[in-house]
Amino acid sequence: MEGMALLAAGIVAGLGALGAGIGNGLLISKTVEGVARQPESKSTLQTLMFLGVGLIEVMPIIGVVLAFMFYGKAS
Amino acid sequence: MHESPIIKLGGLRIDLSVVLMLVVTCAIVFILAKLATRKLSVENPSKIQNFMEWVIEFVQAQISSAMDFKKGKPFLALGVTMIMFIFVGNMLGLIFGVVTEYDNKDAATVFGQPIVSVTEKLDTLHAKGEAHPHAEVAWWKSPTADIGVTMGLALLVFVIVHYLGAVKNTKAYFKHYFQPYPVFFPINLIEQFSKLLTHGIRLYANIFAGEVLIGVIMGLASSSVVGAVLSVPLLMAWQGFSIFIGAIQAFIFVVLMMVYISQTVDMHHEEH
Repeated sequence: MEGMALLAAGIVAGLGALGAGIGNGLLISKTVEGVARQPESKSTLQTLMFLGVGLIEVMPIIGVVLAFMFYGKAS
Repeated sequence: MHESPIIKLGGLRIDLSVVLMLVVTCAIVFILAKLATRKLSVENPSKIQNFMEWVIEFVQAQISSAMDFKKGKPFLALGVTMIMFIFVGNMLGLIFGVVTEYDNKDAATVFGQPIVSVTEKLDTLHAKGEAHPHAEVAWWKSPTADIGVTMGLALLVFVIVHYLGAVKNTKAYFKHYFQPYPVFFPINLIEQFSKLLTHGIRLYANIFAGEVLIGVIMGLASSSVVGAVLSVPLLMAWQGFSIFIGAIQAFIFVVLMMVYISQTVDMHHEEH
């Protein structure tokens, strides 16, 4: 049972990080593309990018909190 | 892990560290706002007045990006209060910590009330057969690292949004629950509640995870010599990232609040 909880903690943190990595990569690469095309819209795009990064970051962080809960159950 | 100082008052479990930190945060925000508006001057503004004007213009820009500023003007004070409260609250947990240690149950009292979390921890440790049970209580943390506080803030926004929708925009507000077809009513209902949940949990999870990781790094520092050396750059990096996260989360909370308000207040009949 303890082993399963530790495994669950590892999976939830790892997959959360994977998803957020892909999401942030897509978001930032598109922002860079947009700024390269239209440098004058840099400030708007940057604000939108930070907003998006903040929205994406939630999922892995909720995952990490869940992982800590599983870890607490195991030990 | 550190315990939170929980006392029982009238059947409720009250976390005293959250109460303390809420008071501290409110006091700091109040003093900051009072200082900034004390000697208002057009020709010769003080530095702190300039700072407060920048904050207000920043929130103003966020409101006008979400809705017509004529309609959004009443929410300016609310937005400035929220962004300052959340930002100051997020920063407070980063500077230092206050921890008290308890070895026996009789000493674990505050205002004559037993600290329930400590007595419970000592009891379980004693039941496990530990000779010297020991509990640590953290008194200083971010108020926003508690789910009660962030869900309270989110609930405040939720109530404002739905009250304004039902009073000021009655027809469009009730109609949008049945858009595009009446079958979608349960989905629209779930959408509203998931907005409330994610709004509160987003802030809580970010700040809480930040504080947990600071705790882990501190544990690494006290484990070995190599860990102590390693923990210094790690902690510096994570503290810097936490400042960034704290600022971004305060910003996102206010932006989402304005978006939610604009969705009900500024709803157009012809768009849907």
